[in-house]
Amino acid sequence: MLSRIADSLFWLARYMERAEDTARILDVNYHMLLEQSAVPYRLRWEPLIIMAGEQDRFSQFYKEANAQTVYEFLAFRADNPNSIVQCITKARENARTIRDRISREMWEDINGLYHSVTRFDPAEQISSGPHRFCDAVKFGSHRFFGVTDATLPHDEGWDFLKIGWSLERAEMTARLVDLQFQSLLETPAIVGTADNHQWMAVLRSVGAYEAYRRQYHSPIEPERVAEMLILHPKHPRSIRFSITELQTGLRAISGTGPGSYANEAERLTGKVLESLRYDTVEDMFRFGLHTYLTLMLANCRLIGEDIARTYFYYGAAA
Amino acid sequence: MTSAPLQALHGGLFEGYDTGAFFDEMFLAPGEPRPHYAKLFQMLGAIPQAQFEDRRNLADIAFLLQGITFTVYSDGTGTERLFPFDLIPRILPHSEWDRIERGLSQRVVALNLFLQDVYGQQRILKERKIPRSLIYSCHHFHREMIGVEVPHGIYTHICGIDLVRCSKTGDFLVLEDNVRTPSGVSYVLENRQVMTRTFPDAFQSYEVRPVHHYPTELCRILRTLSPRGEANAQVVLLTPGIYNSAYFEHSFLAQQMGVELVEGRDLIVDAGVVYMKTIHGLQRVDVIYRRVDDDFLDPLVFRPESLMGVPGLMGAYRAGNVALANAVGNGVADDKAVCAYVPDFIRYYLGEEPILGTVETYLCSRPDDLHYTLAHLPELVVKAVGESGGYGMLIGPASDEETIEIFRKKIEADPRNYIAQPVIGLSRVPSYDVDSKRMAGRHVDLRPYCLYDGQGVTIIPGGLTRVALQPGSLVVNSSQGGGSKDTWVLREDS
Repeated sequence: MLSRIADSLFWLARYMERAEDTARILDVNYHMLLEQSAVPYRLRWEPLIIMAGEQDRFSQFYKEANAQTVYEFLAFRADNPNSIVQCITKARENARTIRDRISREMWEDINGLYHSVTRFDPAEQISSGPHRFCDAVKFGSHRFFGVTDATLPHDEGWDFLKIGWSLERAEMTARLVDLQFQSLLETPAIVGTADNHQWMAVLRSVGAYEAYRRQYHSPIEPERVAEMLILHPKHPRSIRFSITELQTGLRAISGTGPGSYANEAERLTGKVLESLRYDTVEDMFRFGLHTYLTLMLANCRLIGEDIARTYFYYGAAA
Repeated sequence: MTSAPLQALHGGLFEGYDTGAFFDEMFLAPGEPRPHYAKLFQMLGAIPQAQFEDRRNLADIAFLLQGITFTVYSDGTGTERLFPFDLIPRILPHSEWDRIERGLSQRVVALNLFLQDVYGQQRILKERKIPRSLIYSCHHFHREMIGVEVPHGIYTHICGIDLVRCSKTGDFLVLEDNVRTPSGVSYVLENRQVMTRTFPDAFQSYEVRPVHHYPTELCRILRTLSPRGEANAQVVLLTPGIYNSAYFEHSFLAQQMGVELVEGRDLIVDAGVVYMKTIHGLQRVDVIYRRVDDDFLDPLVFRPESLMGVPGLMGAYRAGNVALANAVGNGVADDKAVCAYVPDFIRYYLGEEPILGTVETYLCSRPDDLHYTLAHLPELVVKAVGESGGYGMLIGPASDEETIEIFRKKIEADPRNYIAQPVIGLSRVPSYDVDSKRMAGRHVDLRPYCLYDGQGVTIIPGGLTRVALQPGSLVVNSSQGGGSKDTWVLREDS
């Protein structure tokens, strides 16, 4: 497989996943925040921007973070490279450069999704709320990965898509958990009360609310939420699950067996995964959740860089 | 919408249809279809206008989803436009196609012999059948190719020869040869696919010859060119990239052939051998179906600023380590002044009379022709010899005096660069007019795609019918309101 094609597949999946994750977070938080009238919650729009890592850019365009500005910025803004519409545009551009390598159904699907999200009128959407739009993106992404699963040979190309979405998902979940814990724990009045809407929102935004209920049969406790989102072995949006998928993909590409590694990306992935397998939620909190997740994100970044070095770039040596 | 009685709908789409002073591909006379169109005419008559609109929409959605669009970047957002597709097929009866096929095959073989000769022995120049100065002054004549042995002596692997039907005589004439990197074949295949989905009933009443074997045949020919033998042929398709207007076609063909679609940056030449950069290291490339023009192929030999090309590619080609299709230097046969000599090539190399006529051409490099051209500018079409795609053209009858005078100066300054042809009244096919919601006659041309493997010429039945959708327009180019139609070659005559 051409390096350029592997590169495009990897980013196609990353952008699609990023669009979906942003839509999930936006949708859930938007509606939860609208329900809240207590003063502290009014301040809670900023975290969505911080999570996207876009505070500087956001402040260039808007004076304050509120329901309208945050929605517009995260969903539609053309000059926000990580807005949902931009992510889908870039996912489609990547698909377009490799459309001979993906299935016809995949191309038609992503192309259709692109045309449908660009057809939404931002002004109209901003007044009517993000649910319809976010749903379209979320299901658009699900459908795309479903179509991919059903029509693309599960060979190397498939593996590059897999490492793309799994790495992106791990990072997004890590950021989400990190941010929610920081902002919620900073607001003492809320922690420990029965008012756990915010935690419900966190779970909902990764589609884990019902699963949590089934698993714990208990009120929603922050520690259990963290455990679920970080350490759960089977929940498809937990960090551990995502990193497991990442490892499977990386090993399939290089043909490495268990217990060894062929490159730096595989070594780091294995290391991160071992800690996710054997750490308990108590270990994480003792270590400091924020530090734990910051380290995790740094490792994810290094893994991404090394994937590019190993498979995508031909330097002077070529 | 209320449903009107069938009686009123019959003829509804064709109400007020005027065949005009042109050869109409569907009608012998108003209301009297040609035998091979009779069944289709009957069928269309029975379709309510609203249902016809539905089918049109269905076809448009199919093209949009496939991404068969042009991107217009001028407004900053990259608006995508459809390449308009007209649902009324252009039908060619068996006997007519048979003659076209023989005529095109003859032409392709003669063009290939000419290119072999002009880059080899140059017999035709030595015997003064064509002026040496005419050849050596071609922009696309590449001295770098003289004496290069191309695989199996094939230059013209893929030709897209443009034909027009002259309304006066009803005969097909050759307009130009396109032996460099002709495009459009993907539309032929996609149009057929969409057509079978939107008009399945029409196909049931006709025996239409299939076209979908094109990629298979192309791939077979490309593999035979491999310097390491067919069994080891690593074939790639070289594209300028996604911003090229034919990018859809490049990716489509690569996918249909199951070969890698590469850009210049994916390839590298080391010690005279071409490699592609893969995730598992460098992999040798044997055959390149290149859709990059000669001038951009290799910055070391041609335009040094080209980023689309591969440095060292020409060296590898000359050394016989990689095959290119089409060959480099074919443009000399595409020069519009040289094109006028093709009937002579057929006589000279094959000892046969040309089966297909050509559009009468005045070469401004000849004093008599120049004199005639300058005296008759308002009634002629003047073309720059090295251009294609409708650029550098003067359409006399459609131009004002000022434009004509500007062109007169250009011609006088550089006569070699121009040829003139009479205006051909292109034949017309009924096409749906969106404004009046009725059928109207629109001018068409025909571009069949010919594949040559050194033994025989394979032509997929039909080709691309381009249609000028603007009323009265003779320009079929997509940039100027042109669209396309499915082209049917029938197994029988009707």
